[in-house]
Amino acid sequence: MRKVKILIGTLILLLSFTGIAFVSEKNKGESVKLEEPQEVIYYESEQFGGPEIVYVKPVRGVLFSHKKHVGELGFPCESCHNSLFEMQALKSQENPDFKMEALYQGKYCGACHNGQAAFASNTKCATCHIGVKGLKEYMRKLASKEKK
Amino acid sequence: MFKGIKDWLLNLKNEGVEKVPDETKREFLKIGLIITGVFAGGSLFSVISRVAEGLASSEELHKSYPYKPHYSMVFKIDRCIDCELCMEACRKTNHVPDYGWRTMILRRYDESALDQKTMFMPILCNHCNNPPCVRACPTKATYKDKKTGIVRMAYDKCIGCKTCMVACPYNVRYFNEEKHAVDKCDFCWESRLSKGITITACAEACPAGVRIFGDLSDPGSEVYKLVHQLAKPVWVLKPETGAKPNVFYTIS
Ligand code: SF4
Ligand code: SF4
Repeated sequence: MRKVKILIGTLILLLSFTGIAFVSEKNKGESVKLEEPQEVIYYESEQFGGPEIVYVKPVRGVLFSHKKHVGELGFPCESCHNSLFEMQALKSQENPDFKMEALYQGKYCGACHNGQAAFASNTKCATCHIGVKGLKEYMRKLASKEKK
Repeated sequence: MFKGIKDWLLNLKNEGVEKVPDETKREFLKIGLIITGVFAGGSLFSVISRVAEGLASSEELHKSYPYKPHYSMVFKIDRCIDCELCMEACRKTNHVPDYGWRTMILRRYDESALDQKTMFMPILCNHCNNPPCVRACPTKATYKDKKTGIVRMAYDKCIGCKTCMVACPYNVRYFNEEKHAVDKCDFCWESRLSKGITITACAEACPAGVRIFGDLSDPGSEVYKLVHQLAKPVWVLKPETGAKPNVFYTIS
């Protein structure tokens, strides 16, 4: 009788230990690192001629929208390519001068966003700067599209 | 003729604000005015601005701020681009874990807004002059520093009851599992200011000049100049709570 009791006792102990091990394993899995925000090239629709581009350099979350510029405003490709921007998306963020100062001097977006052709680049910041929050939304959009 | 009107105006008797219906008072409050007098049978009101109510620096404090230095932060809110470099710098400097934050960027999006549809708003502890969190803490683990006015934490006194988290009208406190205590922004006192650095990590990291940090009691400081002017609006969050924040908002 005593032996049976000891056996049952050991079994219970063993079971609870594996249980604890299982729980701690589970906790480990939950504390994964937050996803690192990355640049996005997202094709809303082929008819806009180009994708929605979200830059991450020199700051995260700056949107250039082909949907807005080509789809809604109707600019032809030649307005920007290849004089202001190369065809390859995100190429300009590798340039060391891809900063607000360059825009104020009429380079990149600043060619039009000078307060005359379009709103000046030193105003309405959050129109193009969609931020880390906006960037993450595009990352999610892209991920769900890729799944499909 | 105008002189006549002036004399007439000056000689009017204040009939008392008691007779003004509450609804009218409320309408005026909504546009930022307090009715102080009623004249000519209710056809004329005298009013003053209620802006000062929300400011830590109500007029009588303009000359004497209670702390030295009287630390304060002013946000040029329209310049914020949610790059979150401030949050990153804060995490690194003050060892803030993934699940918590000491400063954070809120986003407001309005599809129906004309033109720009997004606005970002940084928040952190307001280091209130009249802090509800300090009043609520049963162990005095959170306290207002007598010299600098910074609302700080004595982590070893915190029993983790989270009463302060409920009491803070601004929701800027979180429970830190590792410290087993509530944690929040201390204007980088422990990590930087106490070591002689004069600016917080977030203000240093911000590429857009959103976060201006300094001594509100020093008329030469930028924060002083930004708060003590009338050309641009300056406001604090939730002035109705009476907490009297030392964190101000303005536009560039
Ligand atoms: S913002 Fe909240 S935590 Fe900071 S001093 Fe005011 S009440 Fe306390
Ligand atoms: S670093 Fe400046 S611009 Fe960037 S999110 Fe923070 S406050 Fe806004």
